[in-house]
Amino acid sequence: MSTMQQAADDQDMAERIRQYIGTQLPNAPDIRLEAMERIAVGWSHETWLFDAHWTENGIPKTRGLCLRRDPGNALLRHFSNLGEQFRVLQCLESMPLPTPKPYWYETDPSILSAPFLVMEKVAGTCPSPWGSAGRRFYAEAAERGTLPESFTSALATLHTIDWQAAGLSFLGVPEPGKDFARREVQKWCDLVEISQQEPHPILVDLIGWLKANAPATERLTLVHGAYRTGNLLIDNDQISAVLDWELQVIGDPMYDIAYVLTDLNREGSELLSHLVERDTFFRDYEKATGIEIDEEACRYYGMLYQLRSAAFWMSAAGLYASGQSEDIRLARTAWSVPVVLEGAARALGY
Amino acid sequence: MSHYTHLAPDELLERIARTLKKDIGPAVEAAYPKTQAFMASVVLQKLAGQLRLADEHAATSQRDLKELAEELSQLTSSDSIPSSLSDAIHTLRQALDTTSVSHLIETLYATRSELGEERFERIIGQVRVRLRARVDREMVYAA
Repeated sequence: MSTMQQAADDQDMAERIRQYIGTQLPNAPDIRLEAMERIAVGWSHETWLFDAHWTENGIPKTRGLCLRRDPGNALLRHFSNLGEQFRVLQCLESMPLPTPKPYWYETDPSILSAPFLVMEKVAGTCPSPWGSAGRRFYAEAAERGTLPESFTSALATLHTIDWQAAGLSFLGVPEPGKDFARREVQKWCDLVEISQQEPHPILVDLIGWLKANAPATERLTLVHGAYRTGNLLIDNDQISAVLDWELQVIGDPMYDIAYVLTDLNREGSELLSHLVERDTFFRDYEKATGIEIDEEACRYYGMLYQLRSAAFWMSAAGLYASGQSEDIRLARTAWSVPVVLEGAARALGY
Repeated sequence: MSHYTHLAPDELLERIARTLKKDIGPAVEAAYPKTQAFMASVVLQKLAGQLRLADEHAATSQRDLKELAEELSQLTSSDSIPSSLSDAIHTLRQALDTTSVSHLIETLYATRSELGEERFERIIGQVRVRLRARVDREMVYAA
């Protein structure tokens, strides 16, 4: 697509969004959108940020908004949809965890050609930990010390939410015992299947190991599923919003802890998620939740993340291979699979 | 002496990758096509590496699978093993491909209790040695 065509499409999209927001705010006939930007993060949903301005009873009003649209070929589309994300945000609205306030969810394709949701634009930034600028941001924040505390504290809050009272049982509640781990293994095996990419024999070995060694889950909590820097909005050295509600489940909190502990999210940094010292994280998390970190369970879930990563990259490469996406970033992921599996092989003792 | 210029396919891909990275990518202003140009450069580089080693790796893989099939046949010849595992080893000997290795691993896990831990570990250990070598080869161009 040419730059001019892209600009024309962006302008058309902005006008359609303005018209839609106008229908939701009937007392705002003069509504205008400013500071609109399409942010290129993630490979799942398309995201626009903007400020809506209008006059109500002679009083000027402003509301920062974030719109996410389903492009139809999003990664992980088999597990998560915007309707579920919207419902989760609704459930969390009255909870102590910082999350964006959800406003509207639409499935009518005549509005923006695809389902979308509109939520609050929360103040803050979300530096990517994969780039040098982001890593520098987190290293400096780690030195100051406040953000690491907020990182642990928000996760502790997430794990101590009364998820039944919040109405989150619709996510599916595992049976006591090994059901949670088995469900997760099956979920990611399904993605491998959907990817239509031939599984590497190391992946087959990993799946066999995971099925044979599933741990029993002692307690069920809300689990974010991707709790790390890059999925958290930060304002003034505090987590201002937990984002990316795409993989949440009711399950073992050690699943999130393992994600915090995994090497996959720190690329050589000694700090967990580029931010928190391991001992401090253990101490603060256990103190805030009363939940003892089970390192053996975390080791298991760490292996499960190897399956998850491989399935994710295979799915991405499959989208490109099948012609469902022309994004060359997805083609590149085919070479990420052996890298993940090399790690799995080491973990399996090869 | 020949005056013909020869450019091997992997060298051609490397050259195009460099052009994309040094000349085309930096000249593109819009964020998305710029990222695509740089990513195309990365893909071509990896492809060049894979192509350069393809024949050597294919030959090594075939030899490895053949040796693995022999080792497993010897390892299990004196034991009575589940017929499904015996069939999987036989299929590996015939096919010498990825699918048959994966099937063998699945069969190993499925027959684990029949085999007992010691025999399971011994057989999967042999398979893992070959898979370790395979992933090491893949890492040369994938990492």
